[in-house]
Amino acid sequence: MKLGPIALGLALVAIALAPLGLKNYGVYLLTLWCVYLMAGMGLNLTVGYAGQMSIGHAAFLGIGAYTAAILMKMGLSFWFVMPLAALICFFVGLVLGFPALRVQHHYLAFATLGFNVLMYLFFRNEEWLTGGTFGISGIQRPGLLGLSLDGSAAYFYFTYVSAILLALVLWWLIRSPWGRAFAALRDNPIRAESLGVNIMAYTLLAFAIGAAFAGIAGAYFAALVQFIEPAPFNLSASLMMLLMVIVGGSGRFFGPMLGAAIVILLPEWLRFMKDWYLVMFGLAVVALMIWLPGGLLSIPERLRRT
Amino acid sequence: MTPFLEVRNCVKHYGAIRAVDGVSFAVGPGEIVGVIGPNGSGKTTLFNSILGQIRPTSGHMEFCGEDITGMSPLELARRGVGRTFQTLQVFGKLSVRDNLIVAAQEFKGTLPARLFAAPDAGLGRHADEMIERFRLQHVAHLAAGSLSYGQQKLIDIAMAFMPAPRLVLLDEPCAGVNPALVEQLRELLMQLNQAQGGSFVVIEHNMDFIMRLCPRVICMVEGKVLAEGKPEEVQSNRAVLEAYLGN
Repeated sequence: MKLGPIALGLALVAIALAPLGLKNYGVYLLTLWCVYLMAGMGLNLTVGYAGQMSIGHAAFLGIGAYTAAILMKMGLSFWFVMPLAALICFFVGLVLGFPALRVQHHYLAFATLGFNVLMYLFFRNEEWLTGGTFGISGIQRPGLLGLSLDGSAAYFYFTYVSAILLALVLWWLIRSPWGRAFAALRDNPIRAESLGVNIMAYTLLAFAIGAAFAGIAGAYFAALVQFIEPAPFNLSASLMMLLMVIVGGSGRFFGPMLGAAIVILLPEWLRFMKDWYLVMFGLAVVALMIWLPGGLLSIPERLRRT
Repeated sequence: MTPFLEVRNCVKHYGAIRAVDGVSFAVGPGEIVGVIGPNGSGKTTLFNSILGQIRPTSGHMEFCGEDITGMSPLELARRGVGRTFQTLQVFGKLSVRDNLIVAAQEFKGTLPARLFAAPDAGLGRHADEMIERFRLQHVAHLAAGSLSYGQQKLIDIAMAFMPAPRLVLLDEPCAGVNPALVEQLRELLMQLNQAQGGSFVVIEHNMDFIMRLCPRVICMVEGKVLAEGKPEEVQSNRAVLEAYLGN
């Protein structure tokens, strides 16, 4: 039997058992990891699998979160609001994909950065809709088949199972002919087009599907924190999500899982260093980028080569 | 006989440089035509003008009676026109088998239908046959980018033939390939020509290869067609000898 599936099974069980030994804040961090994992998987599709550049992913997390918060405050069910948030992000992502048809690399990075800034200003300034800097509070957590998910552990398990389901969707997508076309688009768009790959359609789809994942994550985020304001959706958040994908291993299925764990949990583990913990985190990231540009999941390959 | 591909008075200027200067030629069904000429004679620019990579300054191109002037590479691919490039153009991170599957999958069903299709898009067996034909079985599951130049060249050419195109334009298929592989390549192209029945236009500097593969050869010099005919006629043409082959 292969070692990979056993290790994956053990990791899934270990994460499921983790809340038993954690306090509320620890469970909250684990749930936050699941939320960023959902968004990170979408960004990995856009950046890692389809080779597009995006530093505006937090804007989609924000669109998803605000859509969920506003509509749930109006009394609509999470189960209606969550797919709607995904759908809205899908269409906004489709529109954001258009610059990618004309520009690439750092030009595209700046186009997506501009979008993030624009959305952040919208969340902050359109007080009538978003509450501005005061935000939206009192967001209810959803229920499931009559069960309350108000407790931190219950909401963690709900988010954890949702993240696994979303990972299965991504797994199926990247193994489908679409996944292969995304990889062709990333590796060599000119050759891909000469082989009949519709690079316009696949570029737009890569952005739209990635955005939809972030939209779903946004809905879970709103219900997790129960209060949203513009700060978690600013440019730093987008850079942090990109960091998750790159640190874990861009274009590798488990990359965002590991990357999100590093970016969300490592600063917390380093807190014993008091004032130095963010410095140590920054140094760890610099070291990773220098010695492991392919991300942590490239370590086995590096070892095989040496 | 109606020509399969007809190029009439193709012109491509870059400012004062006349890269392609009024080239006309036709290719019949199932025909293999060679294009030779010294470096900078406009062969690749001609290919790129036909294949929509660049827009010709003027001229007219028809494929199976349809005007294809200025069509995009995607539209041409959908009409059954394939190509290879002068430099290696494989998908480095995909396996050899996936390179071959992706080369043909977009011709199977609609875009939404492909999302729900089998992972190999129903092309697994065809890809395996092509892998066997090109003797790539031992590397079929390795990343294409990790292979030798010669192996990648074979993958590159095999990809162009995966969707069984009606017309293939091959740009220097022998460039950087060892002599043993050149002969294998010639045999493969002959086999594919007979098996798939498509027409080929081949740019090549390897004279032995082109003379043995192509029943008809066009020689270009300074953007113009200098000579056209059977290989032995072109090879013995005085103007060609002076311009390209030396003495």
